[in-house]
Amino acid sequence: MSNQKKIRVLLVMDSLGHSTGYYVVAKGLQEAGIEVVLGGYQIPREIVDTAVEEDVDFIGYRIMDGAPDILVGRLMSLLKERGVPDIKVIVGGIIPPSMISLIKGMGVREVFTPGTRIQDIVSCVEDSK
Amino acid sequence: MFNEEVLAEIEQAKKEYERLIEHILKKYGEKELEETTVSGIPLKMVYTPLDITKVDYLKDIGFPGVYPFTQGVTPTGYQTKEWTIRQVVGIGTAEETNERLKHLFEQGQTGFSVCGMGYDPYESSDERSLGMLGRGGVWIDSLADIETLFAGIDMEKISINQIGCSIPVFAMILAEAQRRKIELAKLRGTIQNCVIPGGEGPRFEGNGTIDIIEYCSKNLPLWNHTSISVRNIRDQGVSALQEIAFGLYLGLYTIKSAMARGLGVDEVAPRVSFFLSAENEFLEEVAKYRAMRRVWARLMREDMGAKDPRSWLMRFHVQTTALNLTAQQPYNNLIRSTIHALAAILGGAQSLSVNSFDEALAIPTEASATLSIRTQQIIFYETGIAKVLDPLGGSYCVETLTNQLEEQAREILDYLNRLSPERAFRYMEEEADEAGYQRQRAIDNGERVLVGVNRFVMEEEESVPAHSVKLQEYDPGWRDRQIARLEKVKRERDPKKVEAAKKMLAQAYRSRVNIIEPMIEAVKAYLSIGEIVQIRKEVFGSLDLSRFGGKFFGM
Repeated sequence: MSNQKKIRVLLVMDSLGHSTGYYVVAKGLQEAGIEVVLGGYQIPREIVDTAVEEDVDFIGYRIMDGAPDILVGRLMSLLKERGVPDIKVIVGGIIPPSMISLIKGMGVREVFTPGTRIQDIVSCVEDSK
Repeated sequence: MFNEEVLAEIEQAKKEYERLIEHILKKYGEKELEETTVSGIPLKMVYTPLDITKVDYLKDIGFPGVYPFTQGVTPTGYQTKEWTIRQVVGIGTAEETNERLKHLFEQGQTGFSVCGMGYDPYESSDERSLGMLGRGGVWIDSLADIETLFAGIDMEKISINQIGCSIPVFAMILAEAQRRKIELAKLRGTIQNCVIPGGEGPRFEGNGTIDIIEYCSKNLPLWNHTSISVRNIRDQGVSALQEIAFGLYLGLYTIKSAMARGLGVDEVAPRVSFFLSAENEFLEEVAKYRAMRRVWARLMREDMGAKDPRSWLMRFHVQTTALNLTAQQPYNNLIRSTIHALAAILGGAQSLSVNSFDEALAIPTEASATLSIRTQQIIFYETGIAKVLDPLGGSYCVETLTNQLEEQAREILDYLNRLSPERAFRYMEEEADEAGYQRQRAIDNGERVLVGVNRFVMEEEESVPAHSVKLQEYDPGWRDRQIARLEKVKRERDPKKVEAAKKMLAQAYRSRVNIIEPMIEAVKAYLSIGEIVQIRKEVFGSLDLSRFGGKFFGM
């Protein structure tokens, strides 16, 4: 990938509603010059479809209602199945502390919980490109 | 409220006071005298009778239970009716939620409020429920689940709050009441129902939102058929001012939409209720409830021409904010939620849900939900603030803020009224998105203090660590058991009744009659929500999922 190409991030949610953080992150990434594809509510299978179709570098997955280990586990294995394991995944939302190392162990780049600064998310995306 | 002579004396004394503080403030350098609330309302260091010279007690404040209801909607307030303790519950299947509800009722909860019911337009066995079922609310497939949900709960004694506005679920609740031979007219409750434009707009005869209003106004006189859910918009980061104005707009839009169906204002308005937040800026919050109560009364009486005094009342439930709860140092949230709850009670809320301290980490446990009940009981039984109605009324500061909020909220309302409904709703969404972003930036750069997040930060180990809090865990077994349960229901139901119900419901949809009564009959045949949605889809074509819990309403 050439350096000129902007980083593309697909932002998705595990459910509809209570999406304040989702839109805050979207705006923050856009202001930092990152291209954001707003996928809205999608299940792991759809997320992988969209990610491939939109040719993104990153998936940002907001999880509030769902079980992080089940959803992330499914997403990661589907990415492998589809032959796109290089698409990086970051997770944010209501993630119980005990789950953080568990889902990081599945290959998630970073997990952001409430209290995160926008800049930290931007840096994570920029640095791990 | 004060005579000219007294005011002149106060004016004189105020000049002396200003000289006094000028001297003191010089010592402290260039300290800014002017502060503002989060809504941008200017705050003075001190308020005096000079700030409220134009206030006319009888015209602008009035006794509790007397127009314009600034001091409260009932003459006796909490003296004769405590607020309803109504913690939100919704976990796992109907069994888990029923168990949790019964525990909370034993602990002193007085209202039923359940989330998750009918949010998802498919059956529990659908791929979409994988890893989802039961974490963000209780899962309901059919009437059998509603029977389980209410098992051992006296439907006549409690008031029932349905979060979201799923019509199949609403019908199931009524069907269960009928099975228990309860007269529907005696049921008390609320459905989180509110008209939104677009899609199935108010003019569309198949609009279920208005079906609910129409049905309730004729059959369920004690049921709040409308609950203006402005709390979740507030929790996106908008100001108290916008919370008032957006709430007023949504309330008026819903009433006008129901009137377009042919209902009179006094048939609709008495059972319109509001769902508000309680935020950090304490004094402004108390003033917010007072201002909104007053402006609603004035709008309903003067602008909408409502004659029934019950139409003038703004009755409201409060759920304290989640936006300011932090994952860091989670016990701090107990303190925050307590202060939020105090504001709601000083503002005269009819019903209250106090957010649990662990909500930034997971859904509440039985223990943390119990603490939320205790918070309310301590406020009621120990602080004494519920003994006096509107105890902050008459405060020079609170009355001034109340006036300013009313005046400025009316300006925003006027602006919204000049837009088309579609545009007005888009405007509110855009404002909410922008406000959420600006709020986060202000926290990131330290302009807005969030204790434990950008000030007084501690390492995990030295604070009460989030890791040590026992959190509610997700049980993948919920989904397996729910799927098995639905299979059992389908095996045991009468296939002839099922077919007849499906036909009858499709016919009702096609003929565009009010859908509530046919739905009550249909759910009695144990149709699943997934099946009902399918029937609806066949009649109306594609299904607009946003009506099942769109972003705007944050359901």
